[in-house]
Amino acid sequence: MRLSKVVCLIGLLLRPLGLAFVLPCVVSLIYGERSEALGFIAVALLTSGTGHLFCLIGGRRFDDDLRRVEGCAVVAGAYLAVALMGAMPYLWAGLGFPDALFEAMSGITATGATIFDDFSRYGRGLFFWRALSQWLGGMGVIALFIAVLPRLAIGGRQLFFAEAPGPTDEKLTPQIRKTAAALWWLYVGLTFAEILALRLVGMPLYDSVCHALTNIAAGGFSLSPLSIMGYNSPAIEWVIIVFMFLAGTSFILQFRALRRPSVFLKDEEFKVYAWLVVTAAACLVLLVWYDTGGSEVFALRTGLFQALSILTTTGYASADFQTWNDQAKVVLVVLMFVGGCAGSAAGGQKIVRFLLMFRYAGAELRRMLHPQAMLPVKLGGRVIPEDVMRAIFVFILFNFMLLVICTLVLVAFGADFVTGATASLATLGNVGPGLGAVGPMSSYVGLHAVSKVTLTAAMWIGRLEVMTVLVFFQTEVWRNASWRGGNGS
Amino acid sequence: MRASARMDVQAHVSMQIIIIGGGETGFALAKVLAPRHVIFVIDRDSTVGDRFSGLDVEFLTGSGTSDELLRRAKIETADLFVACTGLDEVNIVSCALARQLGSSESICFVSNDDFLKSENQVNILHTHFGIDRVIWPEAQLAADIERIVAAPGAIDAEVFAEGQIKLLEYRLEPGSPMLANQISELNLPDGAIIAAVKHKDVISIPRGSKQLKPGDKIIVMGTSEAMNEIQKMLRSSNVSDSDQIVTIVGGGDVGFQVAQHLDSLPNVTLRVIERDLHRSEMLASVLNRALVLNGDGTDLELLEGEEIGRSDVLISVIDDDGKNLLTSLLGRQLGVRKVITRVSESANLRLFERVGIDVAISARGAAVASIVHQIEGGKSTLLAVLEEGQAQILEVVVPDGYPATPLSAMTAPPDSIVGAIVRKGQTIVPRGRDVIRAADHLLIFCTTDSADIVRDYFTSTSR
Repeated sequence: MRLSKVVCLIGLLLRPLGLAFVLPCVVSLIYGERSEALGFIAVALLTSGTGHLFCLIGGRRFDDDLRRVEGCAVVAGAYLAVALMGAMPYLWAGLGFPDALFEAMSGITATGATIFDDFSRYGRGLFFWRALSQWLGGMGVIALFIAVLPRLAIGGRQLFFAEAPGPTDEKLTPQIRKTAAALWWLYVGLTFAEILALRLVGMPLYDSVCHALTNIAAGGFSLSPLSIMGYNSPAIEWVIIVFMFLAGTSFILQFRALRRPSVFLKDEEFKVYAWLVVTAAACLVLLVWYDTGGSEVFALRTGLFQALSILTTTGYASADFQTWNDQAKVVLVVLMFVGGCAGSAAGGQKIVRFLLMFRYAGAELRRMLHPQAMLPVKLGGRVIPEDVMRAIFVFILFNFMLLVICTLVLVAFGADFVTGATASLATLGNVGPGLGAVGPMSSYVGLHAVSKVTLTAAMWIGRLEVMTVLVFFQTEVWRNASWRGGNGS
Repeated sequence: MRASARMDVQAHVSMQIIIIGGGETGFALAKVLAPRHVIFVIDRDSTVGDRFSGLDVEFLTGSGTSDELLRRAKIETADLFVACTGLDEVNIVSCALARQLGSSESICFVSNDDFLKSENQVNILHTHFGIDRVIWPEAQLAADIERIVAAPGAIDAEVFAEGQIKLLEYRLEPGSPMLANQISELNLPDGAIIAAVKHKDVISIPRGSKQLKPGDKIIVMGTSEAMNEIQKMLRSSNVSDSDQIVTIVGGGDVGFQVAQHLDSLPNVTLRVIERDLHRSEMLASVLNRALVLNGDGTDLELLEGEEIGRSDVLISVIDDDGKNLLTSLLGRQLGVRKVITRVSESANLRLFERVGIDVAISARGAAVASIVHQIEGGKSTLLAVLEEGQAQILEVVVPDGYPATPLSAMTAPPDSIVGAIVRKGQTIVPRGRDVIRAADHLLIFCTTDSADIVRDYFTSTSR
């Protein structure tokens, strides 16, 4: 690993990121929040300055030759750097460092877990930044840079797949840059569509923008502690249901569907996703209807909303599911674990991984009868290579291990079991709200500082799908790391 | 009478034929055609030439895509150009070249399905390369196998006249209803006739008084409705027509094509046994429902472990006649009802049937027969070659001016039978009182030896 190259590339990414702070600055000015606007300007300069400094330190012009581990280092480092810079506005607003970093990481990883408890203390500019950070992280900051920075043209491959959610390396076009650009255009289009839709059902413009940004990213930050429940509007909930469903669907698939809608019916992951949504929603609808005694329409809307919100790891709440019965909660926890489709904005372990694992398990059962049979695991008629299957198993295994470790840490620092386990699950899977003390109407603020740092790391590792970060836990990587390369690497 | 027929054939104009590729196909063609035509054989490999030294042909060593060599073979005046090397690309290029250089007609052998995946591709070969006829022996064989599999209980099957006429071959088991009476007293459905009986390797057209024996094979022809009746009649009670278990041994070109077809049929449970690991992986990736087993088709343990004996059909299409024979015998031993085997060397065909393999078919044999017929067949068309080439189905167009004659009034040549009359799109399975008229298409079943006589008999008006 050549560190100079990594530093240079992270610098290259940070430099334009400064621009991202200009938008919230403008929003602050519109709403007359002078001091906050000043803060955003300062952060913008700091970010771009740091980026430029990194470029200077890195010292060499970026060429296209990038090794796999360097790609991982750039992506992992970039998310960390963006989270640190993104934490600055929160620090400016008076939060402590662990809290600010937690909130920033929750933003950039599109998790939606929050440490805000008193929402009235913060300005509109800050809420806008909070939503914007999720929007940037939902599709992926790296993908954005690949789309706009021509210099990342070829080396971008390594970065794109190190960041992209899911086990497959599907591309829309032979050129990775065009793929990234196409996906971003779709993403922008969906966002504007949702802003429009929310405006039409009566949500104020500022709220519409903030919610569209966090909804399409499957992030889940809202503007009030009551989340979507605060609006008390069935129409808004229906709009959000539709866009949550889209946010959990592979963007690559959606892009193809623009030309040929029938691809939805052919995609196996999408079919399972749709089936899961229907089944989970049906369970929740029945349980909510039975539990709350509300009307059928209410139960239908709420069940569907909550099933989608958790499955797509958005994390909005249209009801306080903390108060639901245990049966309904178990359904939610299972959904948290599964997550959305690969290639979507959703987090979690991804439906396709479970689909492939079950197929693999089925094939092993069949092998008991036919020891000499060739039983490849297939998806959409294509054989999934053995190494991809291995990666999936390892991924699930690491997720389990991380879940256990996080839960242990949280419980050790004072959380009860349900809070500890669901908080770990909700952050590793980038869902947002958990159960118990971190339920949908509560906040992560009450947790111990160590727990917050642990969960911050969990969000980071979860967003980058474990391996991109865990690869650096091998001593060999660091033994072979050198500044300029040469003999050591 | 036989002598006069030969005379007739010799009266045909002698043709100049160029064959590219001296493999099995080229050799078989040259052997049949050499006595009456001028043959040039071109092959890269000069050692192949030794084989041809016994034939009266001109052998040239070199590439079939070299215009200099083609000119030496007098391509300008060639009547027919046949490209049958093992390389599709060479075949196509040399056919295109032959057309450029003045050959009047070209036939191209291909083995790769890329060229023939769609109708469109065949048209491209025709329009862009000037190829008059494309022959794909493996596909032909695969289609034959598929037809046989589709007729449960039967050991051979053909269809003619756009599916209106069917031909099925059965082996008569002891206790079959066909054994009870003389043929004339059998209660056959209207529109079906017993065209031939094969008793101990000898094929004959039966008289009404003939009594069938267990172990005989019978060939039945008729309209598709009548043949459905026959199928019901002859189906042993334990063969169900709904679900079939089919095992294919050998996943080469032919095995793969058959497997792809059967894989798409919902009522077939398919297993494919292939020895090569990479090939097995490929098969497993392309086939959706079939179970692909990586192993040797002659491995008794594998065959028993997978209960191959429960299969309704075993198709052995390995590239090795010996192994095919062994696998087929093992399959029969284990209780498979119908065994279909590919035979590469035509000399082995009879051997296979003698040891009890129901259907042995050769890919090259049918292709060679059809080319020979194209050259020498005159106004008739060869529809099928049956029983290792012992029998044929010919389609003859009755010429204008032919007097309307009832069948019973004709002294038809021996060893032949009119299986069907196609008249203005309608098919009639004739009885003695039916009349033959000008412009009728006759489907005639005959032994190969009598084919020439049959052709002449039905096409000459001078009688």
